[in-house]
Parts: sequence; structure tokens; C-alpha cells
Amino acid sequence: MLRIDVQTSREALSAGDLVQLLYLLVRISPEEQFWQTDLPLNLCLVIDRSTSMQGERLDTIKRAAALLLDHLAPRDVLSIVAFSDRANVVLPASHIQNKTPVLTSIRSLTAYGGTELYHGLTAGLSEMRKADLKRHLNHLILFTDGQTYGDEKACLQLAQRAAGRHIGLSGFGIGSDWNDTFLDQLVAPSGGQSAYIEVPSEILTYLEARLDGLGSVVAQNLRLELDRLPTDVQVKAGLKMSPYSQPLPIEGGRPLSLGHLEGQVPLTYLLELSVGPQAAGTPLLIPLHHRGDVPRHQAFDQAFTQSVTLSVQEGANPLAPSPELLEAVNVLNLCRINELAWQAADEGHLDLATTRLRHLTTRLLQSGHVELAQMAQQEIARVTAMESLSDDGRKRLKFGTRALFVNGHGLRNHD
Amino acid sequence: MDTDYAIMIRCTECGSSQYDGALFCGECGGNLWSKRQRQTTILPFAVETVPAVPPSLSPDGAGETATPSTVTFVIPSSGRRVTLEDVRQVEIGRRDDRHDVEPGLDLSPDDGVRHGVSRRHAIIRFTGRGAVLMDLNSTNGTVLNRYRLMPERPYLLRTGDEIQFGRLLTHVFIE
Repeated sequence: MLRIDVQTSREALSAGDLVQLLYLLVRISPEEQFWQTDLPLNLCLVIDRSTSMQGERLDTIKRAAALLLDHLAPRDVLSIVAFSDRANVVLPASHIQNKTPVLTSIRSLTAYGGTELYHGLTAGLSEMRKADLKRHLNHLILFTDGQTYGDEKACLQLAQRAAGRHIGLSGFGIGSDWNDTFLDQLVAPSGGQSAYIEVPSEILTYLEARLDGLGSVVAQNLRLELDRLPTDVQVKAGLKMSPYSQPLPIEGGRPLSLGHLEGQVPLTYLLELSVGPQAAGTPLLIPLHHRGDVPRHQAFDQAFTQSVTLSVQEGANPLAPSPELLEAVNVLNLCRINELAWQAADEGHLDLATTRLRHLTTRLLQSGHVELAQMAQQEIARVTAMESLSDDGRKRLKFGTRALFVNGHGLRNHD
Repeated sequence: MDTDYAIMIRCTECGSSQYDGALFCGECGGNLWSKRQRQTTILPFAVETVPAVPPSLSPDGAGETATPSTVTFVIPSSGRRVTLEDVRQVEIGRRDDRHDVEPGLDLSPDDGVRHGVSRRHAIIRFTGRGAVLMDLNSTNGTVLNRYRLMPERPYLLRTGDEIQFGRLLTHVFIE
């Protein structure tokens, strides 16, 4: 049903009392080409309608919601929730038969109040549960432009429970005032997407891309079982590279949520592993146990395993990364340098933050990503002049660096 | 991975310690997998984590035989990227037809006047021993990796270096 290909950064490990790094680039693709999701969609749009959304932001989302109606098939279920200090169900979960009253409800949305996400998520998930979750591909799409206060923990618990019920969650932050770390955490349990929308006109692009992806899902709720790895192999970092770029947070031995396999683009992810001491002559077997559902084949919670075997030899063993793996690791590394820069700034070490941003600038320039490099330089200039970094710079660099692999720019000039 | 067993490799660009098997330096992003890269490239920002050293004067001066090279300039403020192939030397400045000045790298499109770039600002020569940068006694001077250069003196230039002509920042990559 699914094909799993794995590239490794080295062909052999070095024997001895040492810890070494190993990178795996895993690509999951369908064995046969599918173009359409087999299950009907159960989609919920949760819209932040707080005061700051007034004007172009809310107007564009309203237009996007209206366009959404054209994308859905009669069998699909849609619900729309708007929230500020409280939540309103704009459209209860239903099949869309007559668009006119729905469009009227969407157009009547006005902005007011603060941002309390928990109310919006609760109402949205409640609507979604009205459909038979096992017979639908369930996804909640959130648009917000602000920080929710005091209910972050409750929201994360909600997202965790939703993922357990096979409800995916994607979050799109508009402007510069939302909490990017929180949004990453919110989508992580289901392997969903978080993205930065710099200008409202991008809202449609992101929504359409997500709908196209959800409309072609071959396998859903894919996850990698980390507790099945050998005890001397630990995952240090994970980054989903396609169909969209998303960090894969490592939380103990919990399975790594990979999200869906969309029919038109393979699901590709990178793992950074630390491998403990190995004895010469005994090959290391690393089994990658995946689980997921392939509705077309009535296969639910099905295991998909692919193992990697590396020989262990005395002496130094050369690295043999493919260009694609190298590119993926470079992106992971640039994301990490960027995160470390902002972390240093948050802790008040502005000199260190500047140094790291300079490193990032150099590498981005070296790879031909002039626009991103300019952003980094603007932040360096800002630190020098104002001793602070900007919120939008943080998001532009974070999401821009993350997307380097997906955007297919390639990372040139490695040497 | 704070184990006693870990062995480290040293990033030759910034001097930081990295785990065996790392492909890129976690501190400066330098390439750790390519031997050639390790031997030939030192990037400007990378040296900030080790004691900074001023640029070196070229022992043989600017007079050594020129060798054709390909050089790319990146000008972050304008986003322009200029590649000059198979050149033995490049003069940097601002084009001025009235005075018959036509530099190989014309910084006029990058708002060179406002940034204090002279018409004949500096010159880079490519020799068998590497590239050499020389300020041509420009009004606002040339800064290499944050060190102001003495005019009319040849300094060694490496790929990835940061050069400021007047107040205009550029990065140079040499193949």
C-alpha cells in the first residue's frame, strides 16, 4: 500500500566507545497513484474575530470561507465557528446544499472583543463531533492574529485529545502578534501545519493549498513509533520536509505524529539520531515502525515498517549524504541556528543573538537566499540601534527558513 | 547528548566542537562533510567565536601573475547578485561616463553614491596564491571583515568575506 524509502547520511558506523550522529531522510509515498481522498471531509473553520481582525484580515477570511464552499463536495461536512471572548457557531456542522444562507451568515461576521482561543476550539471540535469521525477525514483550520491568554495549556490538552480522535488541526497566524511557539505546539499532536501569513492576501493561497492536500489524502494519522527504536538510538530532532515543512517535536517515547500522506506529494521527513557505542562487525538494525490508516484498503491502524541496516567498522567511516539529504540537514541546521539566535535574544544575550544571526546571514547568502538574508540583516541592524528584535522579523525568519526545502529553492553552493 | 563517550570534531570555520557524523556546524552552519570545504573556506562571521584577527597583507603584493577566477558579489541592501566569470581582476566603483570610468563591478545601481562609494574605489586581483583586495585610496575607505584597510595595500581575500565599500556592505564568493 505504502512505499517507504530511507536515505542515510553514512553507509557504515564507526566502532568504539563513541556517540555519533546519523541522519535519516524518510520518504513515504503511495504504491499506486491516488488523486482523491476516499473519505468525505469533516472540516471546521475556526476564525478569530477579535477587534484586531477588523478590516482586511476579516474581510479576506470571509472571502476565503465563501470560496471554501465551492471546494467541497456534497458529501463533505462543514462547520464554521467565530470566536473572540466567546464563541459563536456561524455554521453548524452540515452538508452544504444551499450556499446562500451560509454566505449571508459569513458576511455578517464583525470584529469585536479579545482573543480567547479555548472557546473557539471547544465550539469547533464540538461541531466536528456531530459527524461520524471514523467515516470522515476530520480537520480543523484555525485563523488567528493574536495571543490567547491564560488558556494555552487547556488549548494544548484539547488539541491532544482531538488528535486521539483523529481530528487534525492546522493553524495560520496572521500578522506579527500571535504566538508562533504556541501554534507549533497546538498542531504538533496531529501532525498538522502551522504557518505565518504576512499579508491577508495570502490567506486564500494557504487555505486552498491545505484543501488541495486534504482532498488527496491517501493515508492518515501516520506516526512513527519511537519506542520501537533500539535503546542505543535516540531521536534528537525531527523535521517534516514535505508536503509542508513542520518541526516534529520529540517528547520522550511518544509516537512522532507525521500527519497525512497526500496523494500528489510524498511525505518526507528528516530524523537526526544519536547512536551509542557500537561493536565492530555487528551491524546495527534500525527498524522504522510506522502506523496509520489507509481507508481505500480498509486498513486502519496498520503497521508499515522499513528497516535500515548499517555495518559497523573500525576506523573513521566517510559520510555519504545524497544531495537531497544534505539539503534537508542544512535546512534543519539553519532553522536551529535561527531558533538559537532568538533564544539568546529572549535571554538578553544580544551579542550572541547578533553573532548567530550573522552566521545565518552568511549561510543564506551563500545559498542564494538573498531576501531572507536581508531580513536577518535588518534584525542585526535593529539590535544595534534599538537593542531589540522585531516580532515580525522573528516569524518571517522562522517560517522562511523552515520553508527553504519545500519551496524547492534548493540550497546551492554547499562548497 | 552529554555522554562521556562522545567524540567531537572541530569546525574549521569557527573552531566549535561538533559531534562525529554532523554534516553542518551547529554554531556557524559551516560545512563539515566536505574535506575541500574544510580546507579552503573561512567565513567572516564564523571567526567571531574565536579571537578575531585582522586581515592579512598579501606577502607578494598585488603584482603577482593574475589567474582567471569566477567571483560573485552579493549586495544585501539591494538584493543584487553579480557574477563575473573568468576575470583576472575586478575594479569596484561607480560608473561615470564623463570621466571614462567603467568599473567591473558598478555599484551605482545599489545607491553607491549615497553609501559613499568612490568612482574608483578598490580592486580585487586573482593570483595563483589567492585573491587580493586593495583600496584605491577611496574617499570613504574599504572595510574587510570589519577592519579598515590601509589604502593602496594588498590584503588577502577569502570566499565568504564581508567587504564594505564606503558604507555599502557586500559579500564576496570566489570559485
